[in-house]
Amino acid sequence: MSNSLLKPKATAAALGTPRPPRRRSKTMRTLFPYLLVAPAVTYLLMITLYPGAYAIYQSFFLVRFQSWTPIGFENYTDLFSDREFWAALWNTLVMGGIALALECVIALALAFFAYRDPFIRGWRIIFLVPMLFMPSAVAFIWKLAFNDARVVSDLLIGIGLLEDNISFLSSIWLARMTLIIADVWQWTPFLFIIFVAALQGQDEEVEEAARLDGASWFAIFWNISLPMMRPVIAVAVILRGIDITTMFANVFIMTQGTPGGATETISYFIYRIGFKTFNFGYASAASVVMLVLTIIIAQVVVKRAFHSGRT
Amino acid sequence: MASTRRRKGDSRMIRYIVLGSWALFCLAPVLWFLSIGFRPRTEIITPQPIYFPTFSLDAWHMIWSDWPMAAYLRNSVLAILGSVVIDLVLAIPAAYSLARFRYRGREDIGFYILSTRMMAPAIVAIPIFFLFRNMGLLDTIWALMLIYAAINLSVVTWIIRSYMLDIPKELEDAARTDGASDLRILWEIIIPACLPGIITAGVIAAIFAINEFLFTLLIASTKNAYTMSVALANFTGGSDGVIYNAIALVAFLAFVPVFVVVVAIQKHLSRGLTMGAVKG
Repeated sequence: MSNSLLKPKATAAALGTPRPPRRRSKTMRTLFPYLLVAPAVTYLLMITLYPGAYAIYQSFFLVRFQSWTPIGFENYTDLFSDREFWAALWNTLVMGGIALALECVIALALAFFAYRDPFIRGWRIIFLVPMLFMPSAVAFIWKLAFNDARVVSDLLIGIGLLEDNISFLSSIWLARMTLIIADVWQWTPFLFIIFVAALQGQDEEVEEAARLDGASWFAIFWNISLPMMRPVIAVAVILRGIDITTMFANVFIMTQGTPGGATETISYFIYRIGFKTFNFGYASAASVVMLVLTIIIAQVVVKRAFHSGRT
Repeated sequence: MASTRRRKGDSRMIRYIVLGSWALFCLAPVLWFLSIGFRPRTEIITPQPIYFPTFSLDAWHMIWSDWPMAAYLRNSVLAILGSVVIDLVLAIPAAYSLARFRYRGREDIGFYILSTRMMAPAIVAIPIFFLFRNMGLLDTIWALMLIYAAINLSVVTWIIRSYMLDIPKELEDAARTDGASDLRILWEIIIPACLPGIITAGVIAAIFAINEFLFTLLIASTKNAYTMSVALANFTGGSDGVIYNAIALVAFLAFVPVFVVVVAIQKHLSRGLTMGAVKG
């Protein structure tokens, strides 16, 4: 690609410029960074652009096994009047929003208590444990604890909070709560690790000065640390928020959308329509709607957060 | 003086109560689940939960004799290692380009790579399924390798890019004055200097790949391609119900190596998880 290796050292030294002239042509030099990034971009385009285009195309068809019948916008009009679709969207937002808020508050509180603790390394390793299980395994842990072995009921009876066993799949909010608890249990450490790193990274002298002025521990955290952490919190919450809205394994294993679709997330909706009822055109229409939403969110929120949050 | 000391003592107690309760909440389900793995099936789903079961290796024997556990392990390891290799080969030059060159469209290309991380797997699941079907790759570890690599490429690129940005420019400039080419600088200076970043990126990609569920569920249909993550959902032997003790053992089988590796890269974890946005 370049033969500059063959060039005698003396030439560069004699010219005395920090960037010695290459034998490589000017076009080559302009193209070089593009060539470096091209394979990765090509790979990602294949996995995003192609599926995107395919989903858009397929969304205009009624797909029944091998036969594709063009039906115009019918999939979309059906989708927008489909209560199950709106319910899935709503469930995703409600469960994701509650879980994300809980995770954020708990992780901040834990980070606040832990970051100057002498045993911080120990706490960090303990708190990390749930995050290092496969999500499918976590789903089974909580499915067993809540539903099949009824351990949660039993413990709640033991401490006198419950009179009798309850079925966590019988009510909308109990079923949602089981998914939320599983998510909070597994993913609070994600935020905790990031928040602790941010708190440890701040200037200790500022804290010390405030302490000498008589500010309380909490006041320092609230007035000094928290504002400084804002960009970090934004990035962490966005990353977690993205993952939470794609919640699938837990729904697939724990509730399958029951009761009455109250725990069906948008990912599970697309999966169910596509791979259980084989209505691929319809599922593709839902995918396209989600794709558009994702692009809007990525452009508006994510771009800003990553520009302010990064180096 | 005495009162401030008492207040300090109180606040320390609150601190340990809060941290201790969360530690209990983290570990209790894990220990209980471990006990599930080493108890007979008859003591799992009972009218009254059993907290101190009889010890049994039933499940351990079962996963190796009744289930193709060795195949699941092999599929997981090969698909994950393959995907990490693909990622590093593609991401290192891309990260070098994004971190070290100025050119038109660089920001947009960088953001495009990042934005693929935002895509929900379910959105592309159907087209990817058809794509692999048409390529004849359904139920093979090649499909898993390709899809895991695609999922993680953005993360890997951005982590490595972040570490490359930290390398002092002088290192390169010296080599450049000596007439070294860009590729040689990448190979001999940049890559060794950001090795911790490359390792962190590889580890995080491997963990995400172990965890992957939806694509694997769609791609794999036999032991040719079942991985640990999806095999779990299969320990539901029809009329036998869910075989929880086997599930628990497989869960811990996957957990142990992940735990060891994560403890080893602990210092870099926060930076890796935020794709380089937060320096730990």
